[in-house]
Amino acid sequence: MTSSPARPRTGAVSTVSVASAPCPVVVLDADGHIAELNDAAAALVPAARPGQPLSSPAWLAAADRTRPVPVSGEVGDRWFSAQPSVLADGRTVWWLLDETAHRSTAAELAAERGRTRFLTEASTALLASLNLERCMEVTARLAAEHLADAALVISPTAARTLPVVACDHRRELSRSTVAEAPDSVPGLAEALRGFPPVPSRWIDPATAPDWLVPAGFGEVGSLVITPLPGLGVPAGALVLLRRAQQDAFTEAEESLAGLFAARAGAAMSAARLYAEQNSISETLMRELLPPTLRQTEGVEFAGGYRASGDTERIGGDFYDVHPPTEDSPETLVVLGDVAGKGLEAAVLTGKIRNTLHALLPMADDHARMLRLVNNAMRTSHHTRFATLVMASVRREEREVALRLTSAGHPAPLIIRRDGTVEEADTGGTLIGVLPTITSRTARVRLAPGETCLLFTDGVTEARGGPLGDTMFGDERLKRAAAECAGMPAEAVVERVQMVTSQWIGGGRHDDIAVLAITAPRGAHLSAVDGATRGRYTA
Amino acid sequence: MTPSFGTGPHAVRLALTGDLDYDTCGELLQRVRTALDGGGGVEELHLDCGGLGTVDSMGLSTLLQIHRSTGREGIAFRLDDIGPALRRLLELTGTYEHLTTPRQSEPPGTPGPPVAEEGAAATGAGRAAADRPGGPRPAGA
Repeated sequence: MTSSPARPRTGAVSTVSVASAPCPVVVLDADGHIAELNDAAAALVPAARPGQPLSSPAWLAAADRTRPVPVSGEVGDRWFSAQPSVLADGRTVWWLLDETAHRSTAAELAAERGRTRFLTEASTALLASLNLERCMEVTARLAAEHLADAALVISPTAARTLPVVACDHRRELSRSTVAEAPDSVPGLAEALRGFPPVPSRWIDPATAPDWLVPAGFGEVGSLVITPLPGLGVPAGALVLLRRAQQDAFTEAEESLAGLFAARAGAAMSAARLYAEQNSISETLMRELLPPTLRQTEGVEFAGGYRASGDTERIGGDFYDVHPPTEDSPETLVVLGDVAGKGLEAAVLTGKIRNTLHALLPMADDHARMLRLVNNAMRTSHHTRFATLVMASVRREEREVALRLTSAGHPAPLIIRRDGTVEEADTGGTLIGVLPTITSRTARVRLAPGETCLLFTDGVTEARGGPLGDTMFGDERLKRAAAECAGMPAEAVVERVQMVTSQWIGGGRHDDIAVLAITAPRGAHLSAVDGATRGRYTA
Repeated sequence: MTPSFGTGPHAVRLALTGDLDYDTCGELLQRVRTALDGGGGVEELHLDCGGLGTVDSMGLSTLLQIHRSTGREGIAFRLDDIGPALRRLLELTGTYEHLTTPRQSEPPGTPGPPVAEEGAAATGAGRAAADRPGGPRPAGA
């Protein structure tokens, strides 16, 4: 028998054999009985017999036969679409096209799109925060929502407890520290170590310790530990749990988990690095906080420190005031500046301040003390140096006697009561580079109301002014100092700071440190402040 | 200097232009390194400071570093055309003598064949311009 599924455009009738059709074909008569079927159709639907009603597949049997439209459905484990052509005698020919491969490709494409969307969303959510805890929470939540029933994020730690963020099957986040060694869970220690890279590891849920399974989770069906690869540093481990009634992880899901872990790891290690950097900056800032100075041994001290606004320019300006001790009868003031900025400068600053502190008993001989500091600071690794000014201060009657020594530092200014400003006649070699150094100490006496002003080059090199790029310079500083004649130490510092701030305006600047040593006006010896703080630190 | 071999001193001249500070000192160090490692047995390094702008503490630290490393390698170090601002900085920090006095082990700086100046080009503010080693080369080398 033949039937004609379609009329060619020529209008000529061509006939096609059902038997020779390249796909399963079933011909149904108007009442749904099988009029004819080819071998392919017989093989596909073994129950079908010519003359019998078509009962299977049900979706084809139920298809409208009067005005048929394409239908589709499962046949066994495959998927077919059925294309109808109506014959003149009312019979319908159903051409069955196997669409299993196409359908699974389409499904895979949709799944792939879903995964890509998930990864994109994950990246956006993860990168929205540079806070490590927040990153761990986002990772746990996304993993629990998209990859598993519950998820734990464990961050690497040197401590004996493991910081864990969990998102349970109810999507509730919890944070805890688990007092367990990482090796209590197979594969966890390796995943946390981060190197060498280890693949995700399946764990027999029965061996999982209780803390790994959220309360009320029920029976664990599958459990996988995936390392979170960081930017050269281990970022942690991701634990995914599925319940017993859920399917185990497919290969595609596992690879998705790996891609997600890479993003989460990168975000977490970026957050961790940022947190470390931040804590270093904070430590630096804290170390650089100016000491509160006050009257010591009948001499006024006031200091002002303005850290560079721009954190990367925080440098190494420092000052210390060491009150007299048994070993050193004078107050020793040190104000200095370490070359460079950031962590290296801060380290050098700490080193030089500690060395100076240890050498306090030598303060009667500035040159010797500087030689010792120079020897202690010299290293073959670099030529970073410090410049500083030392002032040994002693009250003598109503006056203040100073010994001032500069080691490569701008000389202190002496502000006389009549408004004249002198540079102290001192000079010397910077500290920390040259094998031998020299220095020249100036002896200066301050009458009541007179001030010795120590400053760092942050003042004189401050750029600003009407054009924004002019250095404040020595002359402007001297003029500003002259206006401070007769003022108490604190007022002198405030005035100098104010004038420089106005000069800088909103511009960038390095650290600026100013310190004033003033002989009090009309002071009585009773003004001596006996309090001796061990050390003022800047 | 190996005049007996018929060659002049192999000298490298770098003309520094712009500011030498925290942001630019790394580049100067690198250029000096490249120039000295360029082969040919460099014996003298000249830094021409005529075009220098501001030199900050890191800039000075860098000059000290170059001075130190050339000293270790037996290369003479010269700062040429030191302007008033740089001179003031070097004097204030007590480094003028250190940086400008020829080392005892060094060959005398002058007289001698002149240092070749090959296009000491400025590259704008904040940049140090480096040139390849100048100076007469051995014939056929």
